[in-house]
Parts: sequence; C-alpha cells; structure tokens
Amino acid sequence: MTPVLLAPLALALGALVAGPILAHFTRRRPTRRVPYGAMLLLQRVIERHKRRRRLYDPWVLLLRVLAVLAVVVAVARPELQFPGVLPDDAQSGPVVVLIDDSLSMDLIRSPEGPADATLFTTARQEAVAFIRSLPDGVRVGAVAIGGTARPLVPDLSTDRGSVAAEVAELRQGRGETQLADGLGLARRLLAGGGGRVVVFSDEAGSVAVPQARDELGLLSRQDVALEPRPVRATEVGNLFVTSAVYGDGLEGGSVRVELSNVGPRDVEVPLVVRLPDGTEITAFAEVPAGGSATETVTVPEVTDGGVALVELDDPWLKADDTFAFHLPRVGAGRVLVVDGDPGPTPTASEVYFLERALAPWGTGGGIGGGVLPDVTAAGHLPELDPETHRVVFLANVSDPTPFAAELLAFVRQGGGLVISLGDNVTADRFNSALGGLLPVPLRRPRALVAVGEAGVATEPPDVALPLFEPFARGGRAAFQGVAWTRLFTLEPFEATEDRSVLLQTTSGLPLLVEGRVGRGRVLLFTGTVDLDWGNLPLQSSFMPLVQRIVSYLGGATAGDGARLAGQVGEVVSVPLVDTSAPLEVHSARGSTAARVTGDGVVFTPAEAGAYRVETPGAPPLAWVAVNTSPAESDVRLGPPLIQLAAEIDPERYQRREPLTVWFLLAAAILVALQAALALLVEQRRREQSTAPEDVGGDHAA
Amino acid sequence: MTIWDPTVVARLSALELQARVLVSGFGTGGHRSRRISANIEFADYKPYTPGDPLRDLDWRIAARSDRLVVRRHHAEDELAVHILVDASADMSTGTSGRYLAGGLDGSKWSTAAVLAATLAQWAARRGDPVALGVMGGEAVRWRWLPAAGGRAQLARVHRVLAEARPAGRAQLAGALLELGARVRRRSLVVVISDLMESPDTWGPSLDVFGERQCDVRVVHVHDPKEWTFELGDVGRFFSPEGGPLVNADPADVAAQMPEVVGAYLAEVRTWLARCRGLHVLAPSSDDLSAVAAQLLRGV
Repeated sequence: MTPVLLAPLALALGALVAGPILAHFTRRRPTRRVPYGAMLLLQRVIERHKRRRRLYDPWVLLLRVLAVLAVVVAVARPELQFPGVLPDDAQSGPVVVLIDDSLSMDLIRSPEGPADATLFTTARQEAVAFIRSLPDGVRVGAVAIGGTARPLVPDLSTDRGSVAAEVAELRQGRGETQLADGLGLARRLLAGGGGRVVVFSDEAGSVAVPQARDELGLLSRQDVALEPRPVRATEVGNLFVTSAVYGDGLEGGSVRVELSNVGPRDVEVPLVVRLPDGTEITAFAEVPAGGSATETVTVPEVTDGGVALVELDDPWLKADDTFAFHLPRVGAGRVLVVDGDPGPTPTASEVYFLERALAPWGTGGGIGGGVLPDVTAAGHLPELDPETHRVVFLANVSDPTPFAAELLAFVRQGGGLVISLGDNVTADRFNSALGGLLPVPLRRPRALVAVGEAGVATEPPDVALPLFEPFARGGRAAFQGVAWTRLFTLEPFEATEDRSVLLQTTSGLPLLVEGRVGRGRVLLFTGTVDLDWGNLPLQSSFMPLVQRIVSYLGGATAGDGARLAGQVGEVVSVPLVDTSAPLEVHSARGSTAARVTGDGVVFTPAEAGAYRVETPGAPPLAWVAVNTSPAESDVRLGPPLIQLAAEIDPERYQRREPLTVWFLLAAAILVALQAALALLVEQRRREQSTAPEDVGGDHAA
Repeated sequence: MTIWDPTVVARLSALELQARVLVSGFGTGGHRSRRISANIEFADYKPYTPGDPLRDLDWRIAARSDRLVVRRHHAEDELAVHILVDASADMSTGTSGRYLAGGLDGSKWSTAAVLAATLAQWAARRGDPVALGVMGGEAVRWRWLPAAGGRAQLARVHRVLAEARPAGRAQLAGALLELGARVRRRSLVVVISDLMESPDTWGPSLDVFGERQCDVRVVHVHDPKEWTFELGDVGRFFSPEGGPLVNADPADVAAQMPEVVGAYLAEVRTWLARCRGLHVLAPSSDDLSAVAAQLLRGV
C-alpha cells in the first residue's frame, strides 16, 4: 500500500496552516490598562488558569490546524495504491496453467491434517478445478515447473477434460522450482498472443520468483496477464540438514551435522547416521524455531569409506529428510610387498627400505594417513583382492610365474603393481610370466660404470607428469643425487598412450616405465630398491617417491573410487578413464538408469542418497553423494510473485483508492470538533463565572 | 494639605455625617464586659462557697429554699477601641462603593474610612477611649493616634481619615506587630483592610493580640466586582501598589475566581482562629449598617 498525491503542488497551500496558529497567538491581545486592587487573587487565578489554557487551547488549535491540513491534502488529490493486486477484470483468451511440482510443494498442508495432504496435492486439485471451470472454447495448456519445466500437453487445447486429466496425473517431484523456464514455456505456448498464465505454486524460497523477472517482463510486453494462485500451508516449517562433515574423533571418527529449522516451533527429532557398511548411529537433535543446531555423532573407528547418510524425521517436509555425504576410507591403505630377496642382513633386503618408506611411523597403521605394508615371501602370496590391497610391490622376485595370472587379474580390476628388479630377476622368466603386465619386455642387466666409479645420475623428473606433481613444490632436484651403477635394460620400444617413461638416467636409460592394463597400472622400475645397484634408498627423494607411487596407483583405481556430489533431478556426470568394461550405477533402491559416454557415465538421480558407479564384481569406480536442493528445503515464503509482477507492470497489478472525499470528510469532522470544543470551553467559563457564594462573614473560630 | 482644603472639608463632613447616622441606630447604654464581677447588672447565681461576700447572698432564696446562693453581676469596664485602617494604594480601587457623596469616591478606602469614623463616633459616644493607626497612605497627619477619649480625640480621628489618601503598601505584618506593642490588655482591636497580602505573611502577627487577650475583629473590605472579576473585556491589569502587568481575560479568570476566593478566605479565617478573632466581610457595595452591627454585636 502506497499513499500517493496526484497534485502534490497543492501542498503549497499548507502555508494556510499558519492562519489558525497566528490567530491563536494574536487573538484578544489586551490594550487597556486596568488598576486592580486584588492582585493577590488574580495571581492565584493566573497560576491555576495557565493549566487550563494548556489543556483546552492547544486542543482547539490542534484541531483547527488539522482541519486546514486535511483540506490541503484533499486538494492535493491523495489516493492509496495497493500494488500486487490482481485486476478485477480478468482477461479472456487462452490460458496456460503452471503447476509447481518441486520438492518444497511436498510440504504438508497442516500438521494436524492428513500426511498426504500436501501443497502439491492441493495445488493439483485447484488447478484441475480451475481448468474444468473455464468456459467452453477456451484454449488451455499446462506446464509443470518442478525440476525441469515441461509442458504436460504439447499444445493449447480446447479439450479441457484431457488437459485436466494430464494435470491430475502429475506426481510430486524432487527438483527445484523452474518458474522462469515455465513462464517461458507458457509464453511460447501462447505464441506471441495475449492470454492468461495462472500459476499454482507455494512461491517459497528467495530464488525462484526473482529469477522470473525477465520472463515476467516478456509476458507483460506480450499482454499476457499473470494470475498467481499461491498455495500456502497453515504452518510453514522444515527441518533439514545443511551439511555433514566427517572428522577425527576421540573414539575413531565423528560426523558433524549442521541442522536448520525454518519452522515456527522448536523440534527435537531422532537423527540417524547410516554408514555405507550398514552401521546405524542414532542421536537426538534439538533445533530451535527459526534457528540452527550442530550435532556431532561418533562413528566407529574403522569403516570402509564411501557415502554415508544422515536421516531425520521432521513434521513438515519429508522429501529432504535424507542427506548424503562422503565418508573417507577410515584406516590405513594396505600395500602388499612381495620380498623376493630376503638378505642376510636387514639392509641387504629391499623390504627393509620399502617398509620404512611406506610406514615411517611404524606399522601400526592409523587414520592420520600413510599405508600399512604387508610383507610376504614370494612363495606365500595370499589371495589378491583390490578391496584389501591397493598396490602390490614385487621386489626382486626371481620367478613370478606361480602368481602371474592372479596379478594380471588384480591389475585388470584396478589394482596397482610396482615391479622392482635386481640380481634375482631373469628377463626370460619375467617376459614369459608377466608378458601381459610388463609395459616393456626386459632385456638384461647392464653395468653402467666400472667398479669404484661414481654411478650414472638420475635426470630430474618432469613435474608435469601426475606422478611427480608433488615434487613441483620441492624435491625435484634431489633426484640428481640418485646414482646408478647397474640397471636392467629393456627391449627397444616407443612411447604410446598406454606406455610411457616416467623417469630416466642422465644417459637416457629408462628408470621407471608406466603401463596400463585394464583398469589398473603397472610401474616397472629397472633398478633395485636397496643399495645393490644404486643409492636410491639413501636419498631424500626415496620416501616421498614411494609414498607418491602408492597414492598414484591407488588413488584413481583403488576400491573407494572417485568422489562426486550431485543434486536430485540434475544430471550427474562421472568422468572415467576406461569405459570399455560394463558400467552400472546403483543406489540403495537398486540400479539407476545411466548412459555411458566416451568420457564416463551420465545419470540423473531421482532420490537423495548414495550412488555407486561400478563394474559388476569390481570395487566402485566412483561414489556420488546426491542431495536435494537446499533452496527447496527453505520453504519460507519468498517475495510474492504478484508483487514482482506489479513492479514490472504497476498499472496492471495495483488497485487505486481515491482519498479526497475522506479527507474532506475528516476536515468537516475536525471543524465540527473544534467548534464543539470551543463551545464547551466557553460554556464552562460562563458556568463558573458566578460570584462567590455567601459573602457574609462569620467567626472563624 | 490643610484643614481648609475643600475636598477634605467635604470628606470630613461626609464622614461625620455617615458616622452619626450609623451610630444613631445602635441605641444607648454601656457595653458588657466578658468578665464577671461585682456590679449592678445581674448575671446569674452560683452556690455559696466560703469566702464569697456575704452581701451577695440572696437571702430570699435562702429563706424560701434553705439553700445558700450568691448573686453574680456583670462587671462594667472602660473599653479602649484600637482602630487599624488600611490606606494602601490597593484600597483606592473599586468603583462600586456605596459611599460617594461629599468627596467619597466609592473606593474601598471610602468604605474603610466611613467604617473607621463610625467606630470612633460610637466609642466617643460611649465615652470609651479611641486609638487610630493608619497603614500606608499619604498625607497622613498622625500615623498612630494613642487611645484617648473626648470630642477632641474624635475630631482628630476624623481629620486623619479625611486627609489621608491611599498610597504605598500596607505592610500588614509590621503594622499588626506595632499595634500589638501599643495596645492595652483586653482592648477591642478592629482592623479594617482589604487584606491583599498573603495571609502567610501577616497571619502570625495576630498572635500578639491573643497574648494580650484583646478582642480582635477584622473588617475585610472588598469590592465585589474585584472578587468576581466582572471587569469588562480583556485588559492589562496592574496593582496600584506596583508590580507587573498581567494580561487577563475576565471571562477566563471569572471562572476560576470563586474557588480561589474561597481558598483565600479559608486561609484568612484559619489565621484568625488562632486569636479567636472575628472576620467580617464588608463589601463596598453594601450598606455599612449591617456590617457595623455585625462588627459590634456582643460588645
């Protein structure tokens, strides 16, 4: 409501207010001087009379001033303008009905009412009734605006029954309100002509309506009348999770859950944290009305990682009661080291140096990071499982034939394999046993320098390669200190997409060659990881290189896979290196339709929760935590659509109420009041102007 | 000013005439004292107690009833009348006075002077001594005339009243204290004034008369129009005694005046009560015979 003066210049007449004020202060100024012999009494009267004058005369003056002001304002032609009001004369012509099936429309109509009576069911019912009530011959269309704006009927139709039936078949969605897109669709359905767009929506949130400003402008230019039919709940509220973050805890891990309550009352609800392994931890959260709260839930010490869920139960909106979040793999990653050359002394063994490089803080493992090496002899190789061991080290193993097939399967499923050579290795056995795994066939060991001479230095690696990226911050030059007296030579080869040299000596001999097999990788190290052929274990670059090799091989292909986030109703794209194997997307509800592209997998989740991208029988390639739109969870009323429409086209969406007559009436009343008050004062004066009673004297005693 | 001033002569004649007229209505005879004493006029009986004079025994009653009673009589005394009259400037106001002839202008002072002259005439006629004090005023020949009897004293009193003109302030408190120092015990003290000074200032001074067992009678002279404030249109009012000009609308003031006058009179009577004084209102518009009768009633 806005008060407006159509003739504001008339306010200049406000100077007339000075009239009664001047009259008040100049009236009856006495001029005659009168001797008075009872001044004692007069002074007492004056003291009392001052109070009465303060009481009566200002009121009379005020009423007179107000009367003049009322007349002045009336001359200025005041009126009240009520923006955001639907015009009374609804236009005829084609009608497009927009119905909001977004997540926020799942809000129940009333906490005391039936649970299935939501804003959406109400809006749908009203929309159907509205369509059926249209006159015969009116062309009508329908557009749903939840998730993705889409027409429910291909074109405008005079068959109101079929359109109403399509609307009645519409089901509650989980996506965001796409009001702007819906208005655009309506505009196109109206094909440039006039008509009406009737919107059944809760108009919740602070985003959807403001985003529709441009489309509203276009509709206005097209002479299309907008008719919002907001659907409201008797109690607007929602309790939802705004974030859940995993962190360290005293007894293992902890999940810090942030909750928000946009409802009008405090709520206390059970909070269930559901881990990927099925573990459930229940806590209770108390969230004040209109506020937020933080709840920390302790989770077990070791879990498998993946996507965990936070589930709650609030009395208003059920659709967003599940929140998915990533849970890191808790505990140490395991590396299997196959010791092919247990030396007579600890330092004579490759394993001695590998163990210390892999777990410099000991082999106890821990959440803080690092890997847990399992050492085994070549003859006692356990069953290989990528869920258990991410990387296998073959350290100077003489004959890999017994477990070659198992290694091949392991790598193909995504495992990582590092092969370091030594005096035990013979080229023929390796080439024949591990032919499918070796990036390049082995040739023979070769002495690089004469006895007593310094070895051949290592060329600093290319930090652009993913393996050596961490050394860009420092440590690259330390590789120059690594010198080799002997190396295994390889058969001549050319670098391809699946085979490349990552590290070499200054003389050009390959030191580290990477090959890809299936979904796994193999790193072939042509030297030893002890002091037999070089000084690598004694150099500062040794431990970070080993650590990086493990993370490099395990990061992209290990069991916990890539971690992504998605939103219900929106396309999730999971980039994958190898899409040759069959790929599937699973959630707790089962398999989800997905499309495999050259770059990965694409799917559109319909529900919040944990989604896994995997090859059957293999560890997940990616975890996707899918949640509903936080904008939809905030069900509080946003700026009304009709108000925005009124801002764009104020003439169409406002009501005017002239006030001139009312001000004139007020002026008349004020004049009458001041006259009555003046008369009353005068009358009282006259009544009290009588002489004192009984002037006769008597004995005071 | 001399005695030969025609205005004064006229005023003096008017005063004497008015005084004689008023006093002639009072009748003759002595005034009774409040004291009971041996004298002629019977007062009452009382049972005989040893020590009573035997000549006061009423033998007839003793013979008839066998009871001894003594007869008591009113004492007859010479009663000094002290008149304190207000000649302040405020007394010059008022136009509704009754006494206008012979140089009397109808002001409050005219009323006060006539009343004072009347009292003096009345006392002289009874043979009682008269004293006169004048508060304020100008051309006052004698501000304090000590108590004395005889026609010469009456002439002096009338002359002072005829010559005096209202001026200055009354200074009631000081005048009362001064009179208190001069007055005889058990005298009649008559104060004639408009009392236009706050009672809080002069009221305590009345105590001296109570201590001296004087019979205090205050004649409150006033112009009724001043008390009702029927003074025409709005004006700038001022006191002849000085002070600021006060803008006032009689229509406004009149509405409040009865309440203020009532409160003021209550204050005056409260102070008079402390010395058992008599408060007599003397509107200048009324005939003073009624006022004088009320004033002298019981004397």
